[in-house]
Amino acid sequence: MKNFGAVRLVDSVIQAGLCCGCGACINLCPYFQSYRGKTAALFPCNLETGRCFAYCPKVELDPDALSRFLFKQPYDGSPLGTVRSIHISHAGAKVKRQAFQSGGTVSALVYFALRSKRIRGAVLTGRDGFLPVPSRVTRPADVLRQSLSKYAAAPTLSALNKAVAEGCRDLGVVATPCQAAAVAQMRSNPMEDPSFTDPTALVIGLFCTWALDFRRFEAFLAERVPLPDIVKIDIPPPPASVLEVYLKEGKREFPLDEIRALVPEACLYCPDMTAEFADVSVGVLEGRPGMNTLIVRTERGEEMVREARRLGYLELDDLPDENREHLMWAAANKKKRAILQCRETGRLNGEEGAACLRLSKETVERILSQGKETSSCHS
Amino acid sequence: MSFLIDEGKHIQHLLMGNEAIVRGALEAGVNVATGYPGTPSSEVIEAFSKVARERNLYVEWSTNEKVATEVAAAASFAGLRSMCVMKQNGVNVASDFLLHLASSGTRGGMLVVTCDDPGALSSVNEGESRLFARLLEIPLLEPGDFQETKDIIPWAYDLSEKLGIVVMLRSVTRLSHASGNVRFGPLPGKAARAKFSYHGPLLDPETGPVISMIPARPEPTHGRQQEKLKSAQEMFESCPFNTYTGPAEPELLIITSSICSLYSREAVTILGLEKRVGVLKLATTWPLPPKLLTKHLASTKKVLFVEEVAPTLEDHVKVIAAESMSEIGATTFYGKKSGHVPSVGELNPDIVISALSRLCDVPHQPVPPEFAREAKLLADRYSPARGISFCPGCPHRASFWSITGALQLDARQGFVCGDIGCYALAAFPTGFSTNKTLHSMGSGSGIASGFGKLRQFGMDQPVVAVCGDSTFFHAAMPALANAIHHRSPFTLVLMDNRGTAMTGFQPHPGSPTDVLGDPAPALDIEKICVSMGAKVEVSDPFDLAKTRKKLNRLLESTEGAKVLILRQACALSPERRSRKKYEITVDEDRCRGENCGCNRICTRIFGCPGLIWDREKKVSRIDDIICTACGVCPDICPAGAIIKKEVS
Repeated sequence: MKNFGAVRLVDSVIQAGLCCGCGACINLCPYFQSYRGKTAALFPCNLETGRCFAYCPKVELDPDALSRFLFKQPYDGSPLGTVRSIHISHAGAKVKRQAFQSGGTVSALVYFALRSKRIRGAVLTGRDGFLPVPSRVTRPADVLRQSLSKYAAAPTLSALNKAVAEGCRDLGVVATPCQAAAVAQMRSNPMEDPSFTDPTALVIGLFCTWALDFRRFEAFLAERVPLPDIVKIDIPPPPASVLEVYLKEGKREFPLDEIRALVPEACLYCPDMTAEFADVSVGVLEGRPGMNTLIVRTERGEEMVREARRLGYLELDDLPDENREHLMWAAANKKKRAILQCRETGRLNGEEGAACLRLSKETVERILSQGKETSSCHS
Repeated sequence: MSFLIDEGKHIQHLLMGNEAIVRGALEAGVNVATGYPGTPSSEVIEAFSKVARERNLYVEWSTNEKVATEVAAAASFAGLRSMCVMKQNGVNVASDFLLHLASSGTRGGMLVVTCDDPGALSSVNEGESRLFARLLEIPLLEPGDFQETKDIIPWAYDLSEKLGIVVMLRSVTRLSHASGNVRFGPLPGKAARAKFSYHGPLLDPETGPVISMIPARPEPTHGRQQEKLKSAQEMFESCPFNTYTGPAEPELLIITSSICSLYSREAVTILGLEKRVGVLKLATTWPLPPKLLTKHLASTKKVLFVEEVAPTLEDHVKVIAAESMSEIGATTFYGKKSGHVPSVGELNPDIVISALSRLCDVPHQPVPPEFAREAKLLADRYSPARGISFCPGCPHRASFWSITGALQLDARQGFVCGDIGCYALAAFPTGFSTNKTLHSMGSGSGIASGFGKLRQFGMDQPVVAVCGDSTFFHAAMPALANAIHHRSPFTLVLMDNRGTAMTGFQPHPGSPTDVLGDPAPALDIEKICVSMGAKVEVSDPFDLAKTRKKLNRLLESTEGAKVLILRQACALSPERRSRKKYEITVDEDRCRGENCGCNRICTRIFGCPGLIWDREKKVSRIDDIICTACGVCPDICPAGAIIKKEVS
């Protein structure tokens, strides 16, 4: 991958409207900061190469290089990425039952990883009022307080960068697909720093079809409900096709078609639904509220899941073929839409420093032959 | 006691042009002097303030130039001699009242002194105030050297009183700020009594009410004003300050005024053209004396106009030449229109020499070419590239750091409407190129008020205006009132550095003292803004995090005009200069230098001159000599390498 600096990052990503606000460029230096869901370059940095560009998942993303680095195998464009095993899961008896978004698998894994000292801290997404914010926890009990989906992008990785700068290692990260890709790029030491060591011990990916632009989402809701009264937000599986906003008293529903208008452009370029560059990936299980889908991708992910299950933190079951096929169908469609979007805008293997994605011709063809062009799918 | 009130025979002092103006006014028995600070005029009022008690003067720094002119006019209406002083831009501000004053007439002698700034050395434009004399139909005088500056003022007061009209006196930077020997004349007694008479008939110039014009009847006042101007023109024919040096029938006649007359004389001497070229130096430049000019125009076939900024003499003399064509015969004119004299920027003797050497065919090589080449080479090699910059420890640098940061974080392409003061420099890298408009005093707020109302046309960029404490009183208040009344959602960042800092800490209505240093009621800017109806926040610009947070919140509010007052004294103010609050050092091991993660943000972006980039060691250093220990750069450093220790 060709590395550039902040000038190209600003041009190719931020100004181009492709920033997903993941926070990978923040807290590395004084130039980039996040404010209310948006990443901004405060002042110009003219270095020719920089970590900001190297970590950014929205420019010069080379899935093949990442796959070879993480999984020691080439990237072939298959819908779910590299999969060691795939399960139905939910939090086990060792984890206090509470208001999880669905099965509580993510909370259970982070909780277990902290308790078993596999990780010494975890970077999650918390909430400041209505604003999703990065949050770093070190005590297992604190994990369970962050357990709800946020739906709007958060600069979670800024907390990872901060922790790394402070010298923390053995960190766990809960990441959306774009964030997981950024973490993978970071772990590959793209600046070839001789003193670099991988600061992560566990990357848990979250399934994601799209996120919402925080500022637009907030403005949308602010016109319709009292923001301080929001307790939980959910998008139930099809055929509901609504966004549910649970208030202190009662619930409001908004058609997803209205909500989709609030999706940032960055998400249209994202080929990854299942966080393919994580150790394990977790999503909802369609048709079974209270259950998750869990994909295990790496050896260290596998070890963690096995032990979490053995010690009662996690319950696993086999994923029925029907669910697996549906998941693959949805993931393949997202991939295909993103590839077409990138290609149409010249950002597939395009100009150096401006292209979103680098994929071989064969991989592109394989992706385009998978799934069906459809827009009705979300999870 | 100031030497400006020395008395006795044969006293001579080296005076700045601005001091010569003051001595001249004192010799003329001036009673009231007012002004608004502005380079190059500020020393006039400052010098008056130093002799105010001894000479029983009333002196003030007024809120703006229009008010200054009005205050001085009141003295004139009450029979006293007065002077109001401003830079060229101030004449624009005062011009509304001046047009009326020219029409109503004056009683005691009144001078409006304008110090123009050709080349805009300390201005945002090189506006030409001479044209105002024509527009306002008032007499204009331009002294040509330091002695004459002093001597012409009593003459100007007599003129003003004889005609009952305000007289404009124009200086320029090189006359106001350069110095020359001036022989003093006697000072008059100090007795003066003010009384405004208004019981006489409506149009009686000495005893009636003083009004500018009777609606729909311009004849009595405007007609009378033109009569006055005609009388002035006649007096100017024999004015002792219009002088000619040179042969009776010069091959080339230079027509010039003000400081350019010195450049012209110098050029003639250097080229040895005393027998071929004459210099007609005019002190009475509006209205021009036609007989005097016709006489001189008839003596030559070639005329060169040497004047700065607008071709004012050139245009007006050409009109006289056209009117007296039969007497002067065929004449060729050279000047700005022919390209012999540049039409922008200051002139200097070299420019005049170059014009003369072309016109008189006298070769002149000011500097040998090999010397010029070598000098340029050395200058390029050894003089560091330096941009225009805020001073070390300037609160504006910190303020714009936060403003820029807040606008970037806001991410809606917000911008700043600049205003007049040191903070105008924020159009350049020293203020992170944040100011995107810059016009006259108070205009930032007015323009911002307008931008704020463009939401109905889809404009959603947040708008910030900046102004200083003195500018706020001068002209930003009406714009803020406008914005508040019309619910224009802009944010005024009011950078209160406790004085009219750019021109040298002159007091303003928000100051606790007046021009003489006596206690004066200080108007509370915060309370004013609150009572006007603005949402007001206050912050210390040196507290970067708090300032930016407040600013971002204000930017997000769409409800009407907001004011953020950033209070911190100017780095050059006595209170800041007297002591260093911290000891600032750099931990070289922690400094990230040019590496990813910093890339010299302190020396490359923040750019305080107190920070030095050590090229050899590749780390930042503090220049202890000029560092004011404001304590801001430690908060800029991402590595915690700049350390501040409180000095006990």
